[in-house]
Amino acid sequence: MLVEKLFDHITNWSKFWFGLIFLGSVINELANQSGMFISVSSLYLWTYGLGAMIGLIAKIRGAWF
Amino acid sequence: MVLINSKDVSAEFSFEKEKAIAKSFSQRFQWEMILIGIGQAMIWLSLWPLVFNGIIPLWAGFCIASLCACFAYLPSHESQHGNYSRGNPKMRWLDSLVGHITLITLISPYEILRVTHMKHHAYTNDHEKDPDYLSAHSGSLMKTIKRAADGSSVSDYEKSLEVFAHDKNFVNSYTKAIPIALLYRATLLTLVVIFPLETLLLWWIPAKIGTVYTVVFFAYLPHLGTSKGRYQDTRFWSHWMPRYINHSMQLHFIHHLHPGIGHYDEPKAIEALKPFLVARGVPGADKIPDRITYNPLIKI
Repeated sequence: MLVEKLFDHITNWSKFWFGLIFLGSVINELANQSGMFISVSSLYLWTYGLGAMIGLIAKIRGAWF
Repeated sequence: MVLINSKDVSAEFSFEKEKAIAKSFSQRFQWEMILIGIGQAMIWLSLWPLVFNGIIPLWAGFCIASLCACFAYLPSHESQHGNYSRGNPKMRWLDSLVGHITLITLISPYEILRVTHMKHHAYTNDHEKDPDYLSAHSGSLMKTIKRAADGSSVSDYEKSLEVFAHDKNFVNSYTKAIPIALLYRATLLTLVVIFPLETLLLWWIPAKIGTVYTVVFFAYLPHLGTSKGRYQDTRFWSHWMPRYINHSMQLHFIHHLHPGIGHYDEPKAIEALKPFLVARGVPGADKIPDRITYNPLIKI
C-alpha cells in the first residue's frame, strides 16, 4: 500500500520534483558559475525555487512546453 | 494509395513464398549490431571520467554523447524482436543484455520499450491500440519532435497499460520494468545534484536528442500517411539524406513485414522481395531501386 502510494505520488508529481531537483540544480550551477549573482544571499533558494516553480507550472499545465 | 486484395495477388507472389525468402535473410548472427549497442554504451560511460579528469572538454563530451544516443535504440530494437537469440531459449539472455545496456544512454527501460513495440507491430496505425500512433500521426514533424522532447511519447506508453490491462503478459512485463524506470530517474536526480552540468550535457540532453532522432526516423517518417493493414501500414520513402545517417529507415517497411530480418540484411532482402512488395501494393514499393547500394553517400 505504501509503495503504491509512493508510486502514485511520483507519477503525479514527477514534473514538480524534476523541476525542483534537476532544473534547480542546473540553474543553481549556472547562476554560481556566471558570477552575476554573487551578491545575492541564499542564492540556492532562488535557483531551486525557480526550478520548482517551472516544475509546478508544468504539472498544472500537464506539459512542459 | 492502391489497396490490393490478397485474392488478386498471383500465386507467384504468395505469402508462403515471400516468407520463405524472408526467412533466408533471418538467420545471420548480428555481431555488428551487438558491437554498436555495447560499444556506444561503453563510449558513453567512458565520457564521464574523461570529462571529470579534463581529458576532453564538456562540449566535446556532449557531442559524442549525443551521437551515442542516436545509435542507442537500434541494437535494443533487434533485442526486442529476439534477433540475437533467434528463437534459441539458451541465448535469450543476449537479447536482454544488449537491450538493457544499449538503452542506458537513452534513460529508457528495455522491457517497457519491448512490450509496447510488440503492440506497435500488432496494431500499427490503430489510433487506440498502437502505442506509437501519436508519434507517427501527430499531424506535423514539429508536433512529433515536441512530443518526443517533452516526454509525451512516454505518457503514451503509460496509457497503453490501461488499453492492454487484460493482457497479463503485457502488464507483467511492463510492471517488471517500472523499478528500472525509477532507478534511472533516481540516478539522474542524484547525479544532477552532484554534477549538474555534466549530467545535463552528458546524459539528459543527449538522451532527448536520441529520443527525438529515434521517434522521427523510426516512428514518424516510415508511417507518415499510411493506413492499417499488413502491406499498407509502413511505406518506402526517400529524401536527400545519406541513408546511413537515418539508420536506413527508408527500408523500415520490410521490418514491419518480416521483423526477423537482421537490420543490415534488409537491403538484400528488399532486392529479393521487391516483386512481392510491388504485387502487394506496399506504399512506395514501385520506387524501390532494383539494387540498394551500400554506399553511405548515396541516399538509397
